[in-house]
Amino acid sequence: MKALMWICLVAISLLSLFPFYIMIVMGTHYNEDLFKGIPILPGSYLQENLTTVLKADFLHVYGNSLIVSVASVVLATLTSTLIGYAVAKFEFKGRKWLQTFVILTMMVPTQVGLIGYIIEMRHLGVGNTLWPVILIWAAFPFGAFFMIQFMRDSIPNDLLECARIDGCSEPGIFVRIVLPIMKPGLATLATLVFLWSWNNYLLPLVTINKSEWYTLPIFISNLGIVHRTDYAARMAALTMTTIPVLILFILGSKTFMKGLTAGAVKG
Amino acid sequence: MNVNAESYDAIPAASRKRRWGPRMWPYLFALPFVLTYAAFQLYPILYSFVLSLHDWNGIGAKTYIGFKNYVQLWTNDPLFIKSLWNTLLMMLMFIPLTLILGLTLAYWTFQLTRGKRFFQTINVLPYITTPVAIGFIFSYMFDWQTGLVNLLLTKFGILEEGFYWLQDPWGSRAIIALMVIWRNLGYFMIIFMAGMTVIPQDVYEAAKVDGSTGLHTFIRITMPLLRNITVFLVVTSMIGGLQLFDEPKLLYGGWSGSAQVGGPDNTALTMIWKFVDESFISNTRFGYASAIAYSLFLLIVLFSVISYRLTAPKEDKR
Repeated sequence: MKALMWICLVAISLLSLFPFYIMIVMGTHYNEDLFKGIPILPGSYLQENLTTVLKADFLHVYGNSLIVSVASVVLATLTSTLIGYAVAKFEFKGRKWLQTFVILTMMVPTQVGLIGYIIEMRHLGVGNTLWPVILIWAAFPFGAFFMIQFMRDSIPNDLLECARIDGCSEPGIFVRIVLPIMKPGLATLATLVFLWSWNNYLLPLVTINKSEWYTLPIFISNLGIVHRTDYAARMAALTMTTIPVLILFILGSKTFMKGLTAGAVKG
Repeated sequence: MNVNAESYDAIPAASRKRRWGPRMWPYLFALPFVLTYAAFQLYPILYSFVLSLHDWNGIGAKTYIGFKNYVQLWTNDPLFIKSLWNTLLMMLMFIPLTLILGLTLAYWTFQLTRGKRFFQTINVLPYITTPVAIGFIFSYMFDWQTGLVNLLLTKFGILEEGFYWLQDPWGSRAIIALMVIWRNLGYFMIIFMAGMTVIPQDVYEAAKVDGSTGLHTFIRITMPLLRNITVFLVVTSMIGGLQLFDEPKLLYGGWSGSAQVGGPDNTALTMIWKFVDESFISNTRFGYASAIAYSLFLLIVLFSVISYRLTAPKEDKR
């Protein structure tokens, strides 16, 4: 029984890893060789593939994706932390109402307003830029919910009270006391937002059609269509897109898991 | 003595509440979220509803037509009904399977004394991968001529010649379901494991004393205690499943390079794909597409209520 369990676990884990392996290996072969047989061992064409990818403005697109993800992370964590602090640590009229509001917003799928959003962006004159892909993260309901829960559990009221008695201003308390205590929560939320905005496909697909503003997912799905379909180069590009997220994940896997499971166990 | 101590503690706590900070601060702190939500999410959602009552192609004048878009959609658009049907079929394939596999995997991994985190990390990797990569890899593996799966199947003599996976109505749906399972399995697993961590250890010890073992303990104790987690996973994967788009779209827009909409004979067309296609790819029927989005929204509300009612037992409603 034990042995069978181990075999199954290892087999499923290998299946989880196998596509990654294929992706990395394919990126190291000459495109036309891919069709001759199963590429199991790494080839020697990696450098040429990388050159192809880099020639196609890859670094510029990489920059775009970084801008989008970093800006989204900053915006989403900022607004979420602020409202989380207000709802979890203040007593005021409308607090209950605000909390219900956050939970309701969490249930509305973003796609419902997609057309309205895009037309709004066009009216604002930022239709075909990076702005729509960033601004969608400005109010992130899951983040707000997460922060409310996290603040409630991890910031002692007495500490805030002491700071008030000592004459610290409210913004001062937020910056000097709340933010340092919230570091783990901020890290979790930031990694999640980074991951989701980095991988986002639908929104850039329908908003951006200028290659100047492509993000990685859109860029790769359009890569190499012009001259010949260079699958090997695409795979090399995909590998380079996936690896930073993988590293980020493996470094902070504990934080990550906590964030992913936060909604479920509490909810 | 005791009473005195309690009231001594209670009074300052109550007055403390009243003294909490100048009144405007909580409102100021909540403002950025409320404002940005109103501007970038609530307004578009309301605007989309207004659009769904109009006939509009995005450029010309809008004509108000009431609920005609909805009537047309539900009674006279076989492709929409088909996309709904496809989406439901694929959900039926992947939700139960991911639940069962995820639970088993979590149970096994949870019992390990060593390597827990290792297996967790490896199995979550697909969840954090770009959907574009998943689409490419799968459409390569299941390609008719050059795909790995066909090569292996023919090599070991299971099939005479390659199977046309991506051009077969059921093949295409099964592969999309497989992609979703592959991507979400690790996520389900860690959620279940988080639930198992919360179960107090003495419950298991009590069961052991009463002579319960292995499978019996799992079915009688672990599974009922994981009920809330399961409800959460069912409801969220219903909501996510109804919005299925990345996997089918990238399976047919990836490796093959063709921009075939909906897969073979539209068997892989999901509701969001239909929505995106009506509004941004093949057409610019913004009014009509908004009606699709709103119908989807209503379906999501309906499904989450039903699945919550079905899976949450009555005595649990506190």
